[in-house]
Amino acid sequence: MSNEVEEILKRVQQMKGVIGTIVVSQEGIPIKTTLDNSTTVQYAGLIHQLTAKARSTVRDLDPQNDLTFLRIRSKKHEIMVAPEKEYLLIVVQNPSDGN
Amino acid sequence: MADRKAELERKKLRLQQIREEKKRKEEEKKKKEQEIAAKAAPAGGSSESELEKKRKDAEDLLRDLGVPDTVTPSATTAVKTTPGDVKSQDSKGEALPVPSASPHRRAKLCMSSVNISGFPPKESISYSKETQTPTETQEQQAEDEDVLAESPEEDTPAVPEQEPEVKEEPSEPVIKEYTEDEKERIIHSEEFVRFLDRTTKVIERAIAEDVDIFIDYGGNAEDDGEGERDAGAKLSQNRQFLDDRWSRYRTVTCLDWSKQHPELLVASYSNNEESPHEPDGVALVWNTKFKKTSPEYIFHCQSSVMSAGFADFHPNLVVGGTYSGQIVLWDNRSTKRTPVQRTPLSAAAHTHPVYCVKVVGTQNAHNLISISTDGTMCSWSLDMLSQPQDSMQLKHKQSKPVAVTCMTFPHNDVNNFVVGSEDGSVYTASRHGSKAGINEAFEAHQGPVTGIDCHQVQGRLDFSHLFLSSSFDWTIKLWSLKHSTPIHSFEDNSDYVYDVQWSPVHPALFATVDGMGRLDLWNLNEDTEVPTTSATLDGQTAINRLRWNHSGHQIAVGDDEGKVWIYDVGESLAQPRGDEWNRLAHTLTDIKFNSTKDTEEGVTR
Repeated sequence: MSNEVEEILKRVQQMKGVIGTIVVSQEGIPIKTTLDNSTTVQYAGLIHQLTAKARSTVRDLDPQNDLTFLRIRSKKHEIMVAPEKEYLLIVVQNPSDGN
Repeated sequence: MADRKAELERKKLRLQQIREEKKRKEEEKKKKEQEIAAKAAPAGGSSESELEKKRKDAEDLLRDLGVPDTVTPSATTAVKTTPGDVKSQDSKGEALPVPSASPHRRAKLCMSSVNISGFPPKESISYSKETQTPTETQEQQAEDEDVLAESPEEDTPAVPEQEPEVKEEPSEPVIKEYTEDEKERIIHSEEFVRFLDRTTKVIERAIAEDVDIFIDYGGNAEDDGEGERDAGAKLSQNRQFLDDRWSRYRTVTCLDWSKQHPELLVASYSNNEESPHEPDGVALVWNTKFKKTSPEYIFHCQSSVMSAGFADFHPNLVVGGTYSGQIVLWDNRSTKRTPVQRTPLSAAAHTHPVYCVKVVGTQNAHNLISISTDGTMCSWSLDMLSQPQDSMQLKHKQSKPVAVTCMTFPHNDVNNFVVGSEDGSVYTASRHGSKAGINEAFEAHQGPVTGIDCHQVQGRLDFSHLFLSSSFDWTIKLWSLKHSTPIHSFEDNSDYVYDVQWSPVHPALFATVDGMGRLDLWNLNEDTEVPTTSATLDGQTAINRLRWNHSGHQIAVGDDEGKVWIYDVGESLAQPRGDEWNRLAHTLTDIKFNSTKDTEEGVTR
């Protein structure tokens, strides 16, 4: 099973323009990463907070709704967050490379 | 900047006043002291007491350190009256522009020096330069601090900026980390794998979708996107034009696209019975290029506009034929909404409703042709509408006037034309020559003819003899100028057919509209019994007029409630393939063959 995880992450990581992939637990603690430690810790902490806020926003607007995906487009990167109950998958990509 | 200067100037003034007041008080105090001293001196003789001497020494010392007695001119003049030694002290004080340091002041200075931290030194320099006063700069600063209590706030904007950076740091030490064992345990859990499977799919799709959402083709990105989306559809509603005041509850009587500006569409409207105070006739120019919902131009006149069109060779002019018989001319350069020119109501011109107006000819030689329902046809020069250049009565067999409802000119022909009439007949006619007037009658329709259109598309084969007519008898008929019987009758509608027009680019394609709100597109090369595609207006309001855009990719339709709808015609449908002309020729022979067979069968039966 570990191989499968590695494989999936590798596949994502090898996609065009992808800079880094981080899997974070519900508490914002990194589980898997392809980035260096300090960057990972920073991303995990901040994105985790942002996702929690985004989720609460969506739920406050409509209690039956839930956050399913979060894309943050910046001048340099695009951060994509796929949040689920227990974990978060964060992928940082360079959109101009992807095109 | 100017405000700030003014503010400083004001504060400076106040400062000066305060300072002067203080000085005056001090002066008076001193004077009193000196007077007392002067009185005491003569009284005590030339020998001054030890105490007095000491005091004076101390005062001198203080003065050297920077205790000024007087500075202001008023003070000096006042001092002049005092004994000489005082005056010398005074001049001494003036010569040394040192800060005052009276015991009382000094305490103040100490306190304010803490506040000074935020006060830019540059400020104080410029201040002293501006005032040009030799007074004590330090005292100034001290007093500035007191008086300009609010100034440090605006002077030190850099201070708060540094603060936020500090805030982020505390969150970092909180972060825990899993041990390798914990991580392994999580990674191996089924839940984690499933999560990863799901989310990576989403992420992959998101990454793979390499559409640049920020693409900007010069501001029209949204339009382009819509165009692409609709390319697959055959006939799709694009937008709707309605003006609450000017078009609601008015029937759209005519539509015309501009040749110079393909995005402009003029629509004419009949009167609105609900609002008798509004002008009866309205013509609105709509713009399909921009998203704005209001008309580009609003024109109106006293009588219902029954027909309207752009004056092809004059991009600014819009022509209207009215119910009263007047031809009106609007100019979009004029600030008025009323006509800039109109024809007279006279026997020489029209006295009946004008259902058709059209500019025919070339750039250098063109006329405005108008026909009214009493059969009067006039040709006009757009430069002079006071009287027609030419006028003629259209009469069938020299007796019966033709009540013309619609008119069409074959491609590149300015002499011959075809008209549809209220009696259901279609007539060919000529403007000039030996056969001027009505020539032939084509009788097949059972009701008034509502629309007529000659084949306009040029190609390898010439089909300019073909024309279509629509009628109240629920049918559309295809004719050739060469035969007095229709080639084909399209009978798929179950209401009045109000208008018909050939596609301006596709030789076998035409559009029809009917009273049930149906817009039909017929491609003769595909089917001659049922329309290739059709769309129905919401609410099934009757469509009165239709007009193809010159590109052949859009159709404007006008209903009887004052709405103009723009339909996009799909690329596959609108754009002809190379063999369409040959296929149309085949279709026509097939139709002819079938119809002769039908009639033969009918005869044999």
